[in-house]
Amino acid sequence: MKIKGYFVEDIPRRKFLQISLKGGIAIAATPSLLSQFLSCKAQGPVSAKLKLDTNILNKTIRKALEKGGEFAEVYVENRISRRIIMEESKFKSAVFGISQGAGVRVISGDKTGYAYTDEITENKLLRAAEVASYVARSTKPVEPVDVKEAKRESFITVKIPLQDVADEKRLDVIRRANQAALDYDSRIKMAFISYYDEIRSRTIANSEGILLIDELPLLFFIVQTLGVGKNTSHLSRERLSRHSGFEMFDEVSPEEVAQRAAREAITMLDAEDCPAGKMDVVMQNGWGGVLVHEAVGHPLEADNIVKKIGVFTGKLGKKVASDVFTMVDDGSMPNRRGTTNFDDEGTQMRRNILIKEGVLQKYMTDILSAKQLNMERTGNGRRESFRYIPIPRMTNTFIEKGKDNPEDILTSTKRGIYVQSLSGGSVNPVTGMFNFTCREAYLIENGRKKNPVKGATLIGSCIDIISNIDAVGTDLDFGPGICGKGQEAEVSAGQPTVRIRGINVGGSRARR
Amino acid sequence: MDYKILAEQLVKKCMQKGTDEAEVYIDTGRNLSIEVRNGEIETVQEASAHGVGFRVFVEKRMSFSSCNDFSDSAIEKAISSAVEMAKKTTSDENNGLPDDKRITKIEGLYDPQIQQVPMEKKISLAKRVEELAMKDSRITKSAGAGYSETEREVFLANSKDLSKSYKESACSFGVSVVAEKGEQKSSGWEFCSRRYFADLKPAEEVALKAAKEAYSMLDSRMVKTQEASVIFDPDVARAILGGILAAVNGERVLQGASFLAKKMNQKIGSELITIIDDGTHTKGLGSKPFDGEGVPTQKRVIIEKGVLKGFMYNTIVAKHAGVKSTGNASRGGYTSLPGIGAHNFYMDKGTYSQEEIIKATKKGLFLKGITGYGINPVNGNFSGGASGFWVENGKIMFPVKGLTIAGNAFEMFNNIDMVGNDLDLNRSFTAPSFRIKTILIGGE
Repeated sequence: MKIKGYFVEDIPRRKFLQISLKGGIAIAATPSLLSQFLSCKAQGPVSAKLKLDTNILNKTIRKALEKGGEFAEVYVENRISRRIIMEESKFKSAVFGISQGAGVRVISGDKTGYAYTDEITENKLLRAAEVASYVARSTKPVEPVDVKEAKRESFITVKIPLQDVADEKRLDVIRRANQAALDYDSRIKMAFISYYDEIRSRTIANSEGILLIDELPLLFFIVQTLGVGKNTSHLSRERLSRHSGFEMFDEVSPEEVAQRAAREAITMLDAEDCPAGKMDVVMQNGWGGVLVHEAVGHPLEADNIVKKIGVFTGKLGKKVASDVFTMVDDGSMPNRRGTTNFDDEGTQMRRNILIKEGVLQKYMTDILSAKQLNMERTGNGRRESFRYIPIPRMTNTFIEKGKDNPEDILTSTKRGIYVQSLSGGSVNPVTGMFNFTCREAYLIENGRKKNPVKGATLIGSCIDIISNIDAVGTDLDFGPGICGKGQEAEVSAGQPTVRIRGINVGGSRARR
Repeated sequence: MDYKILAEQLVKKCMQKGTDEAEVYIDTGRNLSIEVRNGEIETVQEASAHGVGFRVFVEKRMSFSSCNDFSDSAIEKAISSAVEMAKKTTSDENNGLPDDKRITKIEGLYDPQIQQVPMEKKISLAKRVEELAMKDSRITKSAGAGYSETEREVFLANSKDLSKSYKESACSFGVSVVAEKGEQKSSGWEFCSRRYFADLKPAEEVALKAAKEAYSMLDSRMVKTQEASVIFDPDVARAILGGILAAVNGERVLQGASFLAKKMNQKIGSELITIIDDGTHTKGLGSKPFDGEGVPTQKRVIIEKGVLKGFMYNTIVAKHAGVKSTGNASRGGYTSLPGIGAHNFYMDKGTYSQEEIIKATKKGLFLKGITGYGINPVNGNFSGGASGFWVENGKIMFPVKGLTIAGNAFEMFNNIDMVGNDLDLNRSFTAPSFRIKTILIGGE
């Protein structure tokens, strides 16, 4: 964990200088040293779904529970990925990855044992089961139920399967975005374009008798543009990501993504210093929802509630936010980046209302924390890959739409900051202190958007923020992101236009 | 499996498939991590793994593939995918592999003893650091303690007859605790990472620091928005180093996406700033005998007494810039192409103790925590959330949190007027304490 560090990253970056253990501590070490185990993510496996003999799965689960424990699971994953990078109008590199492996987990009381192998053979699985069972020594074993294939509802539809897309089509999407960015304005000097797709197949089998097999496509398209002005430069970013087929680019064109990025880069060349101090903040609809993802979402993940250290510990059923504030996590929204059919423990995805009209309704759980808290499983047990144990994570998290006209929210704000987009931020889930860096923000004077301001920081405590939201618009929208909590997860965050009274804004000049 | 021979064979296999140049990078190792909470084991994770990355060039077009399945069919598929993709990328005359066969000799990268230390001893180290951190009555909850270790061996071979390998290890332990007072909560954590198990700090030292970080921030306050000094603790050094590192990346410099792009040999900050990248430091966590594509590592001055002296390059970007690789090809394991990165990147030490710097400060913030992205490497703008202690007349007065600091990199560098002597080279990304004379602190 590191308590300091849940974050949403700006762009996919190699994990730097720290590895994190679930719920615990951050450990610094040389980046490359640990990366093999802790930051391999961009690769993927073969599109054929793995068909493992159910006998082997049953045997592995039995072996895992041999020494004791009440729950065992085998997770088998296979991922095939492609990444193509364009910089300086050149296809700089193409990266193809095949990754596969299996993890065996044993839960015994509050203890978890985990081992993984990248060779999926009976021997290696049994060896992993033996290692994982270490924590369960001398407890009373539970008799596992033989696995039987189960069905789950699907929220992901594919019209043009990634497997059927010729590489030339992928290159074309990149070329089109690059051209559109450069054509936007002569001050756009370069576009950095990253195209990524993967197909991840999962097999989940556990001692409760569940056997689930599926295959998830994922597309992630990022356009960054470099605007160069007289005295300054700005690197902007726009992203598009879905669990879907290649038809994503028919619905949102690569040109549109590039133009949005270019618009931000050009606009921000005129940015002036941001004032510092407490101000009202209007946040535009869309990815700004990452603010509540960090500030409220992470503290509502049940692992810290189990430890009784989270800021929302003991607040279930209590009023924690203003009446206009309703927050939802919904992993079943069709084809969104945070959507899967079932989480990485096999729990069906669904809509979970976390806070309703200001009152705390539920925490987001995985199998372990649901058991520890004696609560229901909400479908939030997720893992970056077979190299990680599942932990409570968000999916598509958003502020539910309200009743206010978005324009009225702006015009009724006398002075403050209008945040059009955020880079990302972090939260300390114990204290609830969060921070955010703005990508694109403007001064508000007399209800109107004025000059853009340079990368301001928003900082505050989550409880204050959600108590101080006094207007919620009707224009709910979403944006894609990467959430880090020792391991990465693909998420989306959303919100309508909202106003928060009195956030501390970090700028480089005193207020005039 | 003899990975060295395998790597060399796989290079040949790529060449047989019609590549003009080929590189094979095999990464193999094992890791262990143990977490405890409230004196009980919470998780134990153990695994060993290996994988291979292929970088191939066809008519100066580059592509890359990786797999962790060493079966013939998977390797075959990975190589042919790379060759196939290499037909699609853009040809660039600068593309190519290094041929420097030297290796930098570095002591102390691998500790054979880590494996010999019994599991029970590792578990008890994690339990002990937690127990010690919980001793202080102000500490009310444990967020967990842990121990982890990694051993790894890298094999690199390419079609220019390069074949190198090295072995390395690291181990770490740490603890995270919470202090509570009424409705207030405050967290603190500390860890220690070393190449050798025997070099780990005493549990007492790590525990004490974690506990102190948590309880000392209770009853924190806000201050008014104002210009004042900011003393950076070594723990927050990365806030300033990260932006510099990204801005001296030779590729970003060539692309004009760096605020330092046009500043070579110019004075960019106070004479007190010297920044070094050292891939050769004995037992350094960032040290290695060669970089991510086989070029020997070195010790280089990046900024010397305020003057920008060096950018960082890998082989391809160096050729583009008309210089030699600086041995800064970074590699995020076998799944990634070489990028550009640092080894042990640090600000050199000055003359003052931290106490002396605090004592010399009339009014300001002793910065212990910072959030945000640090310096923006493209335009040098800086803004972040800040916490620490308020200093007046050379004395620490009270804890503060929820503040911001913001400015521009050049203003900040020029404004550094005191640098401490408390540099700890056991970290790979670090600085001594230093003071920025004035910067805008945002508060109430």
